[in-house]
Amino acid sequence: MDLTLLGRLIIDMMVAAVPAVGFALIFNVPRHALGYCALGGAIGHGLRFMLLNYGVPIEWGTLIAAGVVSFIGVYWAQKFHAHPKVFTVAAVIPMIPGKLAFTAVLALFELNHEGATVVLLTSFVGAFMKMFFITAALAAGLAMPGLLFYRRRPVV
Amino acid sequence: MLIFEQALSERPPAPRAKKSPASELKKPFISEPEQRGITRLCIQAAQLIMQHGAESALVDSITERLGLALGLDSVDLGITANSLALTTVSNDHCITTIRRVVDKGINMHVVTEVQRIMLRVEKGDLDAHQTRELLQAVKPLRYPKWQVSIMVGLSCACFAYFMGADLASCALTSVASCVALSVRQFLAQHHFNPLVNFAITAFVATSIACLGVNSPLFQKPELAMAASVLLLIPGFPLINGLSDMVKGHVNTGLARWTIAMLLIMSSSVGIVLALILWRVKIWI
Repeated sequence: MDLTLLGRLIIDMMVAAVPAVGFALIFNVPRHALGYCALGGAIGHGLRFMLLNYGVPIEWGTLIAAGVVSFIGVYWAQKFHAHPKVFTVAAVIPMIPGKLAFTAVLALFELNHEGATVVLLTSFVGAFMKMFFITAALAAGLAMPGLLFYRRRPVV
Repeated sequence: MLIFEQALSERPPAPRAKKSPASELKKPFISEPEQRGITRLCIQAAQLIMQHGAESALVDSITERLGLALGLDSVDLGITANSLALTTVSNDHCITTIRRVVDKGINMHVVTEVQRIMLRVEKGDLDAHQTRELLQAVKPLRYPKWQVSIMVGLSCACFAYFMGADLASCALTSVASCVALSVRQFLAQHHFNPLVNFAITAFVATSIACLGVNSPLFQKPELAMAASVLLLIPGFPLINGLSDMVKGHVNTGLARWTIAMLLIMSSSVGIVLALILWRVKIWI
């Protein structure tokens, strides 16, 4: 791995930690768990950054990253006697496809305002589908430990 | 299909008996007033975490484990989006009670506290009386408003950075979302309907970000607009709703999703209103 890639990864992880903490504050996560939210956000987004860098499609990269964050969340949950969602929901927030959602809203607005054109329809459907699949991948990744391993027993 | 339905409707397993020595060692006779007290205790715990944004499966399991650990024979919770019904059985005697659920905002601190109390009861550390006192002492944690505003402003700036915005646009995003969150907190404090609240907040955020359009200082003001409204994405209802539906609680899951979709739609109305009013034409 060359150094510029490592540098970009570190910057990516540091930037991703900020929204994780910001949203953890909105969700009123206990104070001692804030650091773990930041760490989870950094690991998740950093992992996705590396996967994208090696050519994995963004939907699958998101699924893998959210799954890994969720398993780490289960480990922390058992260690600190708290529900895993306390850590994981804030940690996957940096991965939400905000730009695509905004593009979809704008395109919908223009479709109504100026009438349908092929360009507008293409950009609406494209942005919406990508946003939908990334969000679904996030949710599925978060549900993974419960679906695969903790099927009939509580995590904590 | 039938098998699938059965699998979904199967109740979660009863807690492992070896983990709750209190209920196993001495199975004391529970008088009717005692059963009534424990029932109230269970529904109080359920109401507390449901109102503060726990997913349905968690509410169900915490209530049941709490009741069984305190010596009841069976505990059944019925969950809908705005009420909880609980029936407990002890010595063939049944008590049913219903509580209303009012949304009090996401508060993971409350959920964690109640879960820890339940775990201590299961370990046999607490009796019904101590549990009641501890549950009544649970107060929702609220971070100072300025702290949340600043952190959310920085968060949205980081979103703008991920979208590829220049530093000036990131700074604009941070100001816009910081002000928007203060507006949202102010409106929430005055008990405005969340839908109205989100529309106004989106309008404020987009309006401030609009200031960057046509200014040579900002290279990508449209990214500032996209990032500054991200604080309005209802992440917890969306994720909780999906986990509810995956685990068979379709009722509450659909209710959460409907609310989340309405919130997103009313935020879009706020954004579009600002774009029309300030005659801004942008495209990403």
